[in-house]
Amino acid sequence: MSTTPWLRTLLSLLLLLSAGVQAAPDYLIKFATLAPAGSTWMNLLQDWDNALRQRSRDRIGFKFYPGGVQGDEPEVLKKMRFNQLQGGAFTGYGIGRMYSPARVMELPFLFRDAEEVDFVRTQFDRTFRDGFSAQGYELLGWMEVGFVHMFSTEPLRALEDMKARRVWLWQGDPLGRAFFDASGISPVPLSIIDVYTSLSTGLIDTVYAPPLGAIALQWFTRTPYVSSVPMTNGMGALVVSKAFYDELPADLQALLKETGREAGEKLIAATRVDNRKSLNTLKEYGLTFVEPGEGMSEKALIDLRDRAAAKLVESDYIPAAVFTRTRSLLQQFRDGQTGNDVPPQP
Amino acid sequence: MSRETFRRNRLVRLRAGFRGMLLALLLPWLGACSMGQMVARTSESIMDGSLDAMNRETDLMLAASAIPANIKLIEGLIAEDPHNPQLLVYATQAFYGYAFGFVELDDPQRADALYARGVQYGTRALREQGFDIDLSRTTPDDLDPALGKLGKSAVPALFWTASSWAKQIDLNRTEPGRIAQLGSVERLMHRVQDLDADFYYGGAHLFYGVYYGGRAPMLGGDYTKAAQAFADARRVTGGKLLIVDVLQAEYLERQRLDAVAFRQLLTAVIDTPPGTFPEMALANQIARRRARVLLDSQDDWF
Repeated sequence: MSTTPWLRTLLSLLLLLSAGVQAAPDYLIKFATLAPAGSTWMNLLQDWDNALRQRSRDRIGFKFYPGGVQGDEPEVLKKMRFNQLQGGAFTGYGIGRMYSPARVMELPFLFRDAEEVDFVRTQFDRTFRDGFSAQGYELLGWMEVGFVHMFSTEPLRALEDMKARRVWLWQGDPLGRAFFDASGISPVPLSIIDVYTSLSTGLIDTVYAPPLGAIALQWFTRTPYVSSVPMTNGMGALVVSKAFYDELPADLQALLKETGREAGEKLIAATRVDNRKSLNTLKEYGLTFVEPGEGMSEKALIDLRDRAAAKLVESDYIPAAVFTRTRSLLQQFRDGQTGNDVPPQP
Repeated sequence: MSRETFRRNRLVRLRAGFRGMLLALLLPWLGACSMGQMVARTSESIMDGSLDAMNRETDLMLAASAIPANIKLIEGLIAEDPHNPQLLVYATQAFYGYAFGFVELDDPQRADALYARGVQYGTRALREQGFDIDLSRTTPDDLDPALGKLGKSAVPALFWTASSWAKQIDLNRTEPGRIAQLGSVERLMHRVQDLDADFYYGGAHLFYGVYYGGRAPMLGGDYTKAAQAFADARRVTGGKLLIVDVLQAEYLERQRLDAVAFRQLLTAVIDTPPGTFPEMALANQIARRRARVLLDSQDDWF
């Protein structure tokens, strides 16, 4: 009797067994995110890990810490400095602590739509990557939390309306502070942890969030009104520490960046879908979308944006050159779109 | 006539007499309900006994095989008596128990569909209590006045509906429409706590343990409240219901990244001798199995 079938069976069994056991990669990236397990973001991050392991033949891979188990973003950054973690997914709040000029992308009333965001971000890509690197981080891919709307207990049609409200400010966020200072609004600085309760007690009555965020945090159940015009576009980034990145062989560095860029693109696309779905959900729940009144004309909003930017430039949170280039890029994009047949926008 | 034949004939006569007596007793009902409804209503006590026997089952394979048949029996009885609130609650509970105990870990998609059927029956049970609100599109503030009108008799329907609904949301974290419903589920369970805080071995406390323990504080979690809720749940059974420890490990300890507490809780569950809580033996067997699965995955999380 030939032994070949037996050998074949044995080999198949061994292959099956080895497929079931995931070996530890040579380079393990402990990576933290606020995205909960099972969420769209986490599923896509998991896909990134699968692609990375497959293409590197298990030389590099992730160990994810989802749902904020490693703490908030400042805490994750601290752990990255001590090499307890090697990377994380960050929102603008965390990005501001790594490389604040990138937050020019979050200036209020800057972008009209996602195409403008994509154009400016692509143009700045090299500059921002170098900026992160100079601060001890490697930017692997961009993300987005999406367009941020005001959610309120009363309709807000003008900036004057907001001055009469008790508006939340995310404690410790320089960009939010600059916006409110420029608006002449005295916000109520609170940790994000206290927002839902404070909406319930009336300590605050106006908050800002992307649609999916307002749903996930259940803020929408306390705020019957949503601004139709978003105030900004919330950004995000996939980052590892430069110390970890520099230890990688060149081929894995390239692979990590290539797959990170791909993962980021997928995350951005999925976030936009989720936010569109979220807007529909908000409508189904009967929230009223408030159109801006005369007191919130485009000119008034652009003036406000420039006043906020001036404050951030003054403190060097966002360098003047970065803001000027952003406006110029935006103008270039709008000119290209419209065939330059309209007066230049500020 | 042999003794055996005599005994058989006597049994037949007795059964005929019993049937006649039963019919006489039930005749007044017949005008009001069909034979099917009558059978369904008289089956409630049998279902009670069946549920009790299932809860005492220690063989997981036997339970896994038997529960689907019981579910179909309940559904058959509901088809005969579609407004029977007790049967509707049994169906909700059965779908929840089967999905959680035997399906969710291996096949979340199928579990989702089973929880959905539980919610449908639960919603019907609540409607029989006078609570007729579209749960999927109601904000917590709209729910509260309607929930306030419900009395203690609505607690089983509220509890099992909320439990099934919460699991549906848990298994659909990619869907904003589902995530939006979480606040409403919480209001249902809040009403359970108002009316009968320790219902079903402290199940509402357990819900709050997971509700506050399964999320980071910045996303609505609260570890202190979660720990208190698990402690309250543990108090109700004197620590004999092992799923309390399993869920504390799975949600709270994982979330606050306490690997030591995670291992201690789950190891203690596995080491608890069988027979500790005979009336909930099945739940404890399910808890032991879940504890083993979680311990096997600990390296992925810590």
